[in-house]
Amino acid sequence: MKSRNLVSFLIMGLLALTVSCTKKVDLSEKVLHLAVTSEVKGMDPIYANDKYSSNEVGRVYEGLLEYHYLKRPYTLVPNLAEALPEVSEDGLTYTFKIRQGVLFQDNAAFKDGKGRELVAEDFVYSIKRLADPKLQGLGWWLLQDKIVGLDEWREKNSKKDSVDYTEVVEGLKTLDKYTLQFKLKKQFPQFLYSLAMPFTFVVAKEVVDHYGKEFLNHPVGTGPFMLKEFSQSSKKFTYDRNPNFRKKLFPSEASDEFKHMLAYAGKPVPFVEKIEVNIIKEDQPRWLNFLKGRVDYIGIPKDNFESAVTPGKGLGEEFAKKGIDLSVSPSLDVTYTAFNHDLKLFNNVDLRRALALAYDVKEFNKLFYNDTALPAQSVVPPGIAGYMPDYVNPYRNRDLEKAKALLAKAGYPEGKGLPEITYDCPSTSTSRQIGELFKKQMAEIGVNIKVVQNSWPELQKKITARQVMLYGIAWGADYPDAENFLQLLYGPNKSPGANGSGYDNAEFNKLFAKASVMQDSPERTAIYETLNKMAAEEVPWLYGVHRQSYLIKHSWLKNYISTDFEAGQDQYLDVDLKIKKDMQSKL
Amino acid sequence: MNTWSYILRRLLYTIPIILGVCLIIFAIFNLSGYDPAQLLLGKHASAKQIAEVRHELGLDRPLLEQYIGIVKSAFTFDFGRSWATKQSIIDMIKEGAVPSLTLTFPAFLISTVFSILLAIIVAFFRGKLIDRTLVIICVCLMSIPSLAYILFFQKFFAYELGWFEISGYEHGFPYFIPYVILPVIIMVVLNLGPDLRYFRTVILDDIYQDYVRTARAKGLSEKVVLLKHVLKNSLIPIITYVVIQIPFLILGALLLESFFSIPGLGGLTVKAVFDNDFPVIKAMTILSAMAYIIFTVITDILYTIVDPRVRLK
Repeated sequence: MKSRNLVSFLIMGLLALTVSCTKKVDLSEKVLHLAVTSEVKGMDPIYANDKYSSNEVGRVYEGLLEYHYLKRPYTLVPNLAEALPEVSEDGLTYTFKIRQGVLFQDNAAFKDGKGRELVAEDFVYSIKRLADPKLQGLGWWLLQDKIVGLDEWREKNSKKDSVDYTEVVEGLKTLDKYTLQFKLKKQFPQFLYSLAMPFTFVVAKEVVDHYGKEFLNHPVGTGPFMLKEFSQSSKKFTYDRNPNFRKKLFPSEASDEFKHMLAYAGKPVPFVEKIEVNIIKEDQPRWLNFLKGRVDYIGIPKDNFESAVTPGKGLGEEFAKKGIDLSVSPSLDVTYTAFNHDLKLFNNVDLRRALALAYDVKEFNKLFYNDTALPAQSVVPPGIAGYMPDYVNPYRNRDLEKAKALLAKAGYPEGKGLPEITYDCPSTSTSRQIGELFKKQMAEIGVNIKVVQNSWPELQKKITARQVMLYGIAWGADYPDAENFLQLLYGPNKSPGANGSGYDNAEFNKLFAKASVMQDSPERTAIYETLNKMAAEEVPWLYGVHRQSYLIKHSWLKNYISTDFEAGQDQYLDVDLKIKKDMQSKL
Repeated sequence: MNTWSYILRRLLYTIPIILGVCLIIFAIFNLSGYDPAQLLLGKHASAKQIAEVRHELGLDRPLLEQYIGIVKSAFTFDFGRSWATKQSIIDMIKEGAVPSLTLTFPAFLISTVFSILLAIIVAFFRGKLIDRTLVIICVCLMSIPSLAYILFFQKFFAYELGWFEISGYEHGFPYFIPYVILPVIIMVVLNLGPDLRYFRTVILDDIYQDYVRTARAKGLSEKVVLLKHVLKNSLIPIITYVVIQIPFLILGALLLESFFSIPGLGGLTVKAVFDNDFPVIKAMTILSAMAYIIFTVITDILYTIVDPRVRLK
């Protein structure tokens, strides 16, 4: 009897402990609760080459420029720069005045622990770090061969034991404490986008020196939030509002679709006191945490899509009752199946076109993207100049008869004489299913496909080593310019560059080289469109889709906008605690 | 040979095994054909940059030098820094080991004790309804995939009933308790079936031995026969089974850690794989192999304690 009592007591105690320790939703202060699906590499801007790391970096660090929060198409505006730069007539010299009185966050690395004022020299240092051959910053490609003297500085220092940051680089100078000047080797209008990317965000030399190799775990910037708790192996980041943050106001202009957010115009940002970011990789816990109100917004997991979104692409009634909102926006990306153009087999344009006409993108869209993606007519996605909304790719819509005729014209009637074609893809189950559907579709015109799955590193290696025939992949925008997509087909960019398919067309190359140094103008857009059409008709790839992001958010989260460039976004977000309190009972 | 010299000799035997493990790891990583530099630099890498990174990482050093580096790290536990996070690898491992153990150790302890107790009970009632029922339950428990338990328990007990946290982790005692209770329960449920079946088989194997018949013939009670004679003799296979599981406890429970966002070593290893963080992968492989070797030695030593007839020849 005694032992039974003890067991009951222990069980009751354990349950009481569990229930009493279960975390309650905190309604005492404005906290942004976010969930991310992947761990981050660290918080050093020069290594922020994935969106997860970029977003964390963007909470703490800032750059000269940023994207206007309420404007589409994406528009650059000054951030740490006082204004957009003065550009010389030849388009080669960019002079920035930086904001005065901006302070770094307080940290032990500074004298007396107090964050010092940001000066133009900090940008020179930060950009040299990106070029530092010993550090191998992952964003070096952005500035490579662009700034006068910087490549030479990198080259010279790569042979030395330590890198000399004191040496002046001609194209990267300060004119005074608050004036920064870049000199470009050649015109490159996309240069300004580089300055809105986390790679070029500003860091302080003292902090880098103080933390040494561990710098990426001790971020100290000028941004709206400062990191409170973080360890690389932790599944959580917490940030506090930065008390040193300058007076920065919510935008007072907006595109039509965001005009309703102007209620916040002129109010100082950030609005929340804290940010809590939890790494939740699996869909179910992320989804359940959202439904419980523990996460403010999430992308809808594939398995929950049908329960949340109606066939008419609206939000399910049950969700709407809980005050949950749906946000749908196109992503700046393209999925594609690339030919290896090194192979003689694929020099045959009729064969490429035949495969394109046998490819049923609608079925892929239905099966793998819940019919939410936009079938790609060419390389450039919607939302940027160069995209042609009315353009219909002549080899896009499935036409088996025409495909068979083209296959015969290519010299392979009913696929006779055509070798087995391997299709390489990553080793996920979805990629395998995509491969199997592709195989099935191609078999309908007599083309024999073998699906080969690879680990991601192996696939990358095979693409670089040109050991593939066909491979399925996707590209997301680094910046909102068609150049970033069209360069995937630019001959000189062949692997190990971004042009993995090795497509090399002299006419395309010539036009691309011309457009890539032009300032944004109707003339440049016209060239982009020509290139886009050329790439559609030559079928260097089988075009897949431009994906759309489907996100849901709770009613208490204010000012949320779905964007391809999220870094720094949370300074504009607000949490309405009254609504949150009211809604808790409904969740 | 006394116990100490036995232990010493047994430990000395592990050295060539560790050298062999290092050689295998070295061969796998060097013959895999992957270029870590290319993988680390991502989509915009140039050939020159790749060469520079290879130099920075020491991948262009002579193979012998690289092998000696691995062996050295195995004996000094100095695995250097992670390529991805630049943190000291041993610190990362220490940091990850605690959350892993807060999940796996209680689950291991509860399921082992509980399974042995139940195994004794079912052995006592062998062939009767209670035995058959428990065996059927075990088979049923084992037939359900672990993912199904995780998804169901998380949805039902954590989300619907709100008894537990859905996911997450807080460092330090007692803050981690609410976060690990549900995964511990799942792990116990997962372990119960195979453990109970194994222990039952081991105990039943002994029950039909001559010495048990002798004990019964001497008039000893069934309780005494089971607890004093059978259990003592079943200890060797039980120890083998239990001790050899310990290295896996340290390595964490990947699926549970992933679904419950517990920052343990399972997740650390997977992250390293996705980041192509080869030093971390190497360190985890070496440590796993070493833990396995060490616990095998411990098992052998425990044999000598449990059964003095066991000695190294």
